[in-house]
Amino acid sequence: MVSARNVAVTAVTAGLCLPLALFAIVLVPIPGLPAASGFWIPAGFYFVMTLWFGLWGALGGHIATFLAMGYFQGFTLQVWADGAVGDLIAPLVALAVFKLMGARPDLRSKRDKLAWLIGVPLASLVCGLWVHTVNLLFGVITWPFWWVGVLTYFIGDSLAVFAVGTPLLRSLTSYVKQSPMYIWRD
Amino acid sequence: MGGGRVRTLFGYVEESCLLTRAHPVVKVLSLVALNVLAWLIEAPVPLAIYLSGLLLAAALARAPLRRLKGYLPYLLLVAQAVVLSYALGSRIPGAVVYATLPWGCYVSDRTLLYMASVMLRISCMLVGSTLVFLSLRDTDVVYGLRGLGVPFSAAFSLNLALRFSALFLDDYARVRDAMLLKGVRLDAGGPLERARLLSRAAVPLMVIAIRRMQDLSFALELKGFPPRGRRTYVHEFRWSWADTAAAAALVATTVGVAVAKLLSPLLSFPGWPFA
Repeated sequence: MVSARNVAVTAVTAGLCLPLALFAIVLVPIPGLPAASGFWIPAGFYFVMTLWFGLWGALGGHIATFLAMGYFQGFTLQVWADGAVGDLIAPLVALAVFKLMGARPDLRSKRDKLAWLIGVPLASLVCGLWVHTVNLLFGVITWPFWWVGVLTYFIGDSLAVFAVGTPLLRSLTSYVKQSPMYIWRD
Repeated sequence: MGGGRVRTLFGYVEESCLLTRAHPVVKVLSLVALNVLAWLIEAPVPLAIYLSGLLLAAALARAPLRRLKGYLPYLLLVAQAVVLSYALGSRIPGAVVYATLPWGCYVSDRTLLYMASVMLRISCMLVGSTLVFLSLRDTDVVYGLRGLGVPFSAAFSLNLALRFSALFLDDYARVRDAMLLKGVRLDAGGPLERARLLSRAAVPLMVIAIRRMQDLSFALELKGFPPRGRRTYVHEFRWSWADTAAAAALVATTVGVAVAKLLSPLLSFPGWPFA
């Protein structure tokens, strides 16, 4: 059963990430890859929301990406399958790494930092593989360009998540722990 | 609503447009069907016929086709990506080879045809989806998804997200003004530097978001969310025979095209898969 808290996390995450995604596309566009950004600012936010509040944060990122990319690229099946599903998978991969390693999102211990250092690039790589394989299946790119797309996605997404997400996790996790929506219990 | 115009997600649309009068379920179903059809068809001629059909249907339904002009720059961006990718990185056999590249890729007549097919497919999705969104009101999102069996909570979340994005734009403007008053130059440096400066607004924005999340969850719980028992709705959308005909046509066409693609090579790209 979906609770009011779950809806609040999803709606607020999506509402927060949507304008940031629009800014990211306008500020740092990638020539040749429409509606893509070399510094995907909202990723930093929905990664953090997912680590704090679980699946519902990732769902917010998914909705925001679809709406923001759709604004530039059209609300099409390709945009949904491509960017939006990719952005749903990525933060969940990072969350899975934290769960598997027994780490916590406040990044205090060595284990937490290691989980963040492994989780973010791994999640960006999985998402990059997904996004550019979908691009390939829709015929937008060819095999020789596939790895270029995966590599640029991997670097751009990881940089944004590290730059935006790290200060958020370090400075605000103690504050968020008071929230009944926080999923980690010591 | 006023002055014979209806407010949709993409602005104000004439009330006389048939699309705006369709049932929300038909609008959501159209969005799915029009995209799936474009995805199923690969051959350039059927795609061109499909695109012409979409534009003709839109004109007959008095949809504001001039709004599509806003997406032309996007189509040029996609065209650039497609041309670059296929001209430099494909091997599609054809009757004539126009250029061979040192790394083994070449451009044939079929390469150009395939580029055209990809562009037509994307244009079909773009035109179809934009026309549906031109007729979609925010209430349609909730009622349309509910009508298709999507849980109310999911439909409501999507609608809330749309409304919250406008609020966060105001919050961002407030945080940005505070940064400017403290002497930060947000327009200085290259794109990456500007993006880095923008990310400095992350902490105050996140604090606002967390507070808003708490307030929203309390408000929703006080209003009895999630709803138990039978829910009532403010608006009543009447399902007409035209809606039945439109929904049946959309489903039948999608199934028909999927079956036709399996049985006949007409809808597939000639020569696919390439040797």
